[in-house]
Amino acid sequence: MVDVGALAIAIAWVFALYAVGMSLAGAYWRKRDFVASGENASLAVWGLTCIATAALLHALVTHDFNLEYVAHYSSTTLPIQYTIAALWGGQAGSLLFWALLLTSMTAVVLLQNRETNREFMPYVNAVLMTVAVFFLSMVLFITPPFQRLAFTPAEGQDLNPLLQNYWMTIHPPALYLGFVACAVPFAFAVAALVTGKLGDVWIRSTRRWTLFAWFFLSMGNLFGAEWAYLVLGWGGYWAWDPVENAAFMPWLTCTAFLHSVMIQEKKNMLKVWNMVLVILTFLLTIFGTFLTRSGVISSVHSFTQSGLGPFFMGFLALMAVLSVGLVLWRLPLLKSENQLDSMLSRESAFLLNNLVLVGIAFAVFWGTIFPVISEAVRGVKITVGPPFFNRVNAPLGLILLFLTGVGPVIAWRRASARNLQKNFLLPVAVGFGAGLALFAAGIRHYAALLSFSLCAFVMVTVVVEFYRGVRARQAMVGENPFTALVRLVGKNRRRYGGYIVHVGVVMMFLAITGTSAFREEKQITVKPGDTFPLGGYTLRYDGATGRDTPHISYLVGTVAILKDGKQIDTLYPEKRFYKKPEQPTTEVAIRSTLGGDLYLVLGAYDNATSTATIQAYVNPLIGFLWWGGVVLALGTVVTIWPARVAARGPVYVPSRGESVVRE
Amino acid sequence: MSGRRPVPHSRRRAVLAAVAALCAALTTAVVAEHRSHAAESTASFQELEESLTCQCGCGLTVHSCNHLQCPSALPLRDEIRAQMALGKDKDTILAYFADKYGEKILSSPTTSGFNVMAWVTPFLALGIAAVLLTLMLARWTRRGQAPPGPASGPAAQAESPYSKILEKELKEFDR
Repeated sequence: MVDVGALAIAIAWVFALYAVGMSLAGAYWRKRDFVASGENASLAVWGLTCIATAALLHALVTHDFNLEYVAHYSSTTLPIQYTIAALWGGQAGSLLFWALLLTSMTAVVLLQNRETNREFMPYVNAVLMTVAVFFLSMVLFITPPFQRLAFTPAEGQDLNPLLQNYWMTIHPPALYLGFVACAVPFAFAVAALVTGKLGDVWIRSTRRWTLFAWFFLSMGNLFGAEWAYLVLGWGGYWAWDPVENAAFMPWLTCTAFLHSVMIQEKKNMLKVWNMVLVILTFLLTIFGTFLTRSGVISSVHSFTQSGLGPFFMGFLALMAVLSVGLVLWRLPLLKSENQLDSMLSRESAFLLNNLVLVGIAFAVFWGTIFPVISEAVRGVKITVGPPFFNRVNAPLGLILLFLTGVGPVIAWRRASARNLQKNFLLPVAVGFGAGLALFAAGIRHYAALLSFSLCAFVMVTVVVEFYRGVRARQAMVGENPFTALVRLVGKNRRRYGGYIVHVGVVMMFLAITGTSAFREEKQITVKPGDTFPLGGYTLRYDGATGRDTPHISYLVGTVAILKDGKQIDTLYPEKRFYKKPEQPTTEVAIRSTLGGDLYLVLGAYDNATSTATIQAYVNPLIGFLWWGGVVLALGTVVTIWPARVAARGPVYVPSRGESVVRE
Repeated sequence: MSGRRPVPHSRRRAVLAAVAALCAALTTAVVAEHRSHAAESTASFQELEESLTCQCGCGLTVHSCNHLQCPSALPLRDEIRAQMALGKDKDTILAYFADKYGEKILSSPTTSGFNVMAWVTPFLALGIAAVLLTLMLARWTRRGQAPPGPASGPAAQAESPYSKILEKELKEFDR
């Protein structure tokens, strides 16, 4: 199987190159058979990449330690789910996995567009296969996954213990899906630029792909945060690590694109800007992979660093030059007759939203690369850590939260005084009221007060939108409130799905504010029977016990949780000692309530005295982060869900001589 | 449409000034807040831990690193305690660590010399972009308020059905 896998990669690389060549030749000489041959070659590349991936998986599952990759990232005692996850746990495997996702998406795109977008498809295929050629080149020439060892070790070195976690089995695939899916809108954008068909056909053709990419970028970031929260054991979920930043930046620009594209669809404006955002998002996904793989900036997540940096940098530069060149070439065609009725309008609000989102992306980018700049300019290594990112991004985040409330309800074209009063009076009043109530309740953290007030403001704008829609349906059709709500959402999925996403975002802001402003923590060394207070709880350490398995030795602490003198729970924070490689890790114990988490970490332990060092945190409102993610996912699914033809709307009934357009 | 007045220059200048002032205020506030944190004479142990980066490779601050027997975080914590016991203020303690271990031990750039670029650039870029956006919006608004000419060109023709849908939607949804 191993030789088959290696051979499959080599043939896939040749076929991918062939697909690029034939697609471009077919487009240039207008030869349909060339284009078809290129597409068939791409499908073959997908099949071959599947074979290569299956071969590597087979080697992992059968413990073929003669293979360097298998010996390095697995062992006979590694549970099966992590043995499978080892596919993306190492450098070569993750690049092969990337190639698999990319070629799979290419196959879907080709099958989706057998009869449509025929002018675009040769270029779409050529772009996607160019990216595939790059990744296949990496696994063929630079970091081959099927490299054999001169001898066969009796046992493997095992997967990094930090990766042996449920969230690590789904976080990388989710993030990769998001990263790779960004290549599809990019490929269509390039095709639109090359063909000069710069209307909104390419945007409509890739709308679901963009949402798909955004959804998985969102989930990838969230799963990564959950993994960091559970595994790293420092009580937090986001440390502005370079690799976290790498995943966050494309999410920001993709979010900006999802908003600005509405203006192009509705008003035929911002064609250049939308092109820039799609290109930027794709380039940031490659930049993110470059950061993760190159080791140019140290990161807690860079489990697989190597000398791939220059190749990624070269590919990134090539893609940037080609895409910017195409935009400059097509600039005369991209220019649209931009006009606004008023600066106080939804169009302006969306543009401001874009400004802030891209501004945050730039701030994150700048902070991430500033150590490299500092070293190049001054020769001095510096660190740009969480305090910098928190201080710079907090005010921008609050502006963004404010715009999240303004955008959906301010009128298109021109907001009149009446419109502003009608739509904003109640939300502003509730926002102020919430702030005052919290102030009266004793909260003196002013940034938190502002954030909570803005959360209330945005929530009310969304609730009022739903309420008005339901009332309108009730008045017009006489439906009961539940039916009216379901049909309202069903008939305007994009709009109301977007509102649901905004609710998820507000919930996340609540959690971020709660954990940033009101976190309590304590590190204490205790002996059995000792108690200590934290965040309204009393914690009693009752001792620790050990147990052993072939793979891991466990030390399990027992901590009783008391409130008002009564025991309400018992938590069991663990220390795990992995045997291959020998590495201790923490397994946190969490008590979750609506108000927040009590989060315990078992630190040092002294066998002689049975004393333990316990780090305890109270993270207020953190549950809203995860549930906000669920709501965000639900909203995206509502938005992306295909509408039945009859349910699509509104339908424009044309007058004579005009064509029908459906939304 | 033709009856609408163009945006007066004075109002445009006021909007631009407001945008620039907002960005300047944001930059100043962020840098000032950072400086005030650094200058607090009665800095807590936790604040000092958070101002220093653990050198064990975890990428976290000394406060957040929870590695068992961490060869970096534990001695650094002892050193913080020792410095605090000498009655030094936060600024002096951080300067001591920067001198001893190099600037890379500080968890965020200082606000002096070249490092100011780290703090100012994001807001400067945002400010410039905001001013350009304001100018652009003002130009588009003037264009939108000009008397409508006859629609011409392929773009205008292609847009026609969408514009009508938009008009219909706006009537339906605008409040």
